[in-house]
Amino acid sequence: MDTQSLTLALGDATHAGRTFDVMPIAGEEPVLQVTVSGAEETPVYITVTDTQILCLAYLFDEQELKPERLNELHENMLRLSVPMPLSSLGKTGQHYVVYGALSPASGTSEIMQELVTLAENAIDLLQTFEDYLA
Amino acid sequence: MRTVLKKILTAMRGGVNELGEAVVDSQGNRILEQELRDSEQELKQAKHELASLMAEAASLARQIRTEQDSASKREDDARKAIAAGQEELAREVAERIVGHERRATELTQTRELLQQRIAGLKDRVQKAEKQLADYRRELQVVKTNERVLRTTAQIDTNINSQQSSLSTAKETLERIRERQAREEDRQTASATLEKELTGADLDEKLKAAGIDGEQDAVNDVLARLKGSNTPQ
Repeated sequence: MDTQSLTLALGDATHAGRTFDVMPIAGEEPVLQVTVSGAEETPVYITVTDTQILCLAYLFDEQELKPERLNELHENMLRLSVPMPLSSLGKTGQHYVVYGALSPASGTSEIMQELVTLAENAIDLLQTFEDYLA
Repeated sequence: MRTVLKKILTAMRGGVNELGEAVVDSQGNRILEQELRDSEQELKQAKHELASLMAEAASLARQIRTEQDSASKREDDARKAIAAGQEELAREVAERIVGHERRATELTQTRELLQQRIAGLKDRVQKAEKQLADYRRELQVVKTNERVLRTTAQIDTNINSQQSSLSTAKETLERIRERQAREEDRQTASATLEKELTGADLDEKLKAAGIDGEQDAVNDVLARLKGSNTPQ
C-alpha cells in the first residue's frame, strides 16, 4: 500500500457511514491529509514507510498547556493510551499526537477503520483534556 | 538499541530536532548501515563455510563406512583362509584389515575435529544473525524517528502556508462544539418534524390542555360498565 493507491482507494470509499476527503501534503515525503466526515476538525495524516503505515492526528502543542498541570496531564495520557482502541498517545517536536501504526500489508478496510478511530479519538481526547489548556 | 534510544532522547531534550533535523547524524547512520552490511557479509561467508564443512563431514562419514565395511568383509576372508589352513594368505588379509581399520580411525578423528569446527561455526552464524536483527531494529528506529520528524515538519509548513497559523486546540474545540451543537439541533428538528407528521405534537398539546383522548375513552368504558351493572 502506498500513498497513491491509498488516495484512490479512500476517495470513493465509505466505512461505517463515513466518507474520506484526501489531500496530498506537498513536500519530499509522501504524506496525505485525510478528513473523516463527522470528525472534520481533527484531520489524520498518513505516511507510508517500508515497515509501517503511520497515521497521526495533532492534539495540542506544549505551549498551549498549563505548565503547572503538565505532569498530571502526562500521567493521564499514559494511562489512557493503553485502553484506547487502535490509538496511542505520543509527542513529536512540540506536538502532542494521537497515532496508530499499521502493517504495510494492511488492506483499505483496516486503514479506514484506523482513520475513523483516530479522528474520533482525537476529538474525545481534546474534550477530555480541555481543562489542561492554558 | 539502548544507545540509539538514548541518543534520540538526548537530542530531543536538547531541542535539536524541533525543525526535523536528523537526531543521529547522517555519519552515525552511515556507520550503522556499514555495520549492517558487514554483519550481512560475515553471515553470508559463515553460512557458505558451514555448508562446505557439513558436506565434507558427510563425505568423511561415507569414507569411514566404506573402510569399516571393507574391514569386516576382509575378516570373513581371513576366517576362511585360516579354516583352509592358508596361514600366509590369512596374514596378508589381516594386514589389509589393519590398514582399513587404521584409515577408519584416522578419518574418524578428522571428522570429530570437523564437527567441532561445525559447532563453532553454527554458533558464529547464530550470533551474526542475532546481531543483524539488532542492527536492523536500531536502524529502523533511527529511520522511523527521522521520517516522523520530517513528516511533521512538512505538515506544519503546509498548514502554515494555507492558514495564517496552525489552529490552536481551543479553536479546534470551538469548531467541534459548533458541529456537535448543529448535530443536536438537527436531531431536535427531525424529532419535531416526526411528531408533526404523526400528529404526536397535537396529542401533546391536547393533553396539556386537559383534553386527553385516551383518558376520555377509558372514562367512557368505565361509565358504560357502571351503567350496565346498575339494576334497571
